[in-house]
Amino acid sequence: MHMSIIPAALAASWLALGCAASFPVPTQDQAQAQAAERSAVELGAASQPKAQLHLELAREQMNQASVAIKDGDNARADALLLRARSDAELAIALTRDQSAKTGAANATEQSNAQRITNANQGATQ
Amino acid sequence: MKTIRTASIFMVVASAAACAASMPPADLVTARATYSRAAQGPAATLDPADLHTADESLKLAEQSFARDGDTQGTRDLAYVADRRAQIAEARGGTIQSSDQQQQTLGRMHAAETSQLALTSGQLGVAKTQLVVQGQALAAEQQRREDADKRAAKAAADLAAFASVKQETRGMVITLSGSVLFASGKSDLLSGAQAKLSEVAEALTKEDVESKIVVEGHTDSQGGASYNQDLSQRRAQSVRDYLVTRGMASDRVTSEGFGLTRPIADNASPEGRANNRRVEIVVQPKK
Repeated sequence: MHMSIIPAALAASWLALGCAASFPVPTQDQAQAQAAERSAVELGAASQPKAQLHLELAREQMNQASVAIKDGDNARADALLLRARSDAELAIALTRDQSAKTGAANATEQSNAQRITNANQGATQ
Repeated sequence: MKTIRTASIFMVVASAAACAASMPPADLVTARATYSRAAQGPAATLDPADLHTADESLKLAEQSFARDGDTQGTRDLAYVADRRAQIAEARGGTIQSSDQQQQTLGRMHAAETSQLALTSGQLGVAKTQLVVQGQALAAEQQRREDADKRAAKAAADLAAFASVKQETRGMVITLSGSVLFASGKSDLLSGAQAKLSEVAEALTKEDVESKIVVEGHTDSQGGASYNQDLSQRRAQSVRDYLVTRGMASDRVTSEGFGLTRPIADNASPEGRANNRRVEIVVQPKK
């Protein structure tokens, strides 16, 4: 499921709430939330404070979704899984953003060092 | 009265209920603020697709709120809309940082290229200078070799008509009297002048400080007084000639010893020839 249709799926799950008894177990959304959570971990979200917060939120909601499935509340479980997936994907985006910021800062630092080196070489030549 | 009071209470409660129903949930308020912030950030130009997704999410949440009010469904939709707006914000920032990094690396590359060109130019100048210096060095080397050759030739020429010895009184250059003068005369022969010029050149080049004494010596033929006078005049002739060839006059003195300092037996013609001589003594520096 493409991430841009998460809200639509969420809206659909709430429309189906009226007939909760017939809502299927959200195995696909569960798999997608778990995949997003794993990706976040692999990218190093756990070591980046802002990303870590959303990683934890994703895990909590995935656990809550598991409980809801056991209780037969599949619609609630689906909504929780979609929330969890959005948090996991946010953790990924924040981790990548932090890496990009670090890369840019390092490049700026190198550039400044290069400027000083070149200036010194110019002074000695 | 009681009826009016009951109606008033009912109206207040109903009004509060209506107000509560129109109050958006905190998740929706947060989502609106997050989206507004994201729309004003780099995502607006750098990541419009994710910002559009966030906008769609927020609309669904707004529709849910308009239709159902503050329900769990509305809060879930608002929660997801907030995350989508944050994702757009983060991805916009990521693209911005990546662009910034690329630009910085590009500037660094340009600076490196420029510095390389500068260094290369300086290297070229240094190489040229090195070549020029090498040529100057080679020319100087050639000049020295030429000078050494000339000096060696002068020494060889000198050895042909003079002997050079190192004694305690200094370096002694002995010139045969028959080479320099006609018998009984004190005027230099024309051939002798050329020889003495070489001596003068050698002495001027090698040393400009040492004192030089030109000594005249004769054989025992004739009287002592005659020989003393002759030796003095001959020494003076040589001394004067050396001065004309560039030697400082205060460096060179002359002295006649007549027949008093023979170096060979005056009984034989060869011995007498050896005794007729001029010695140029280059005194050691003091």
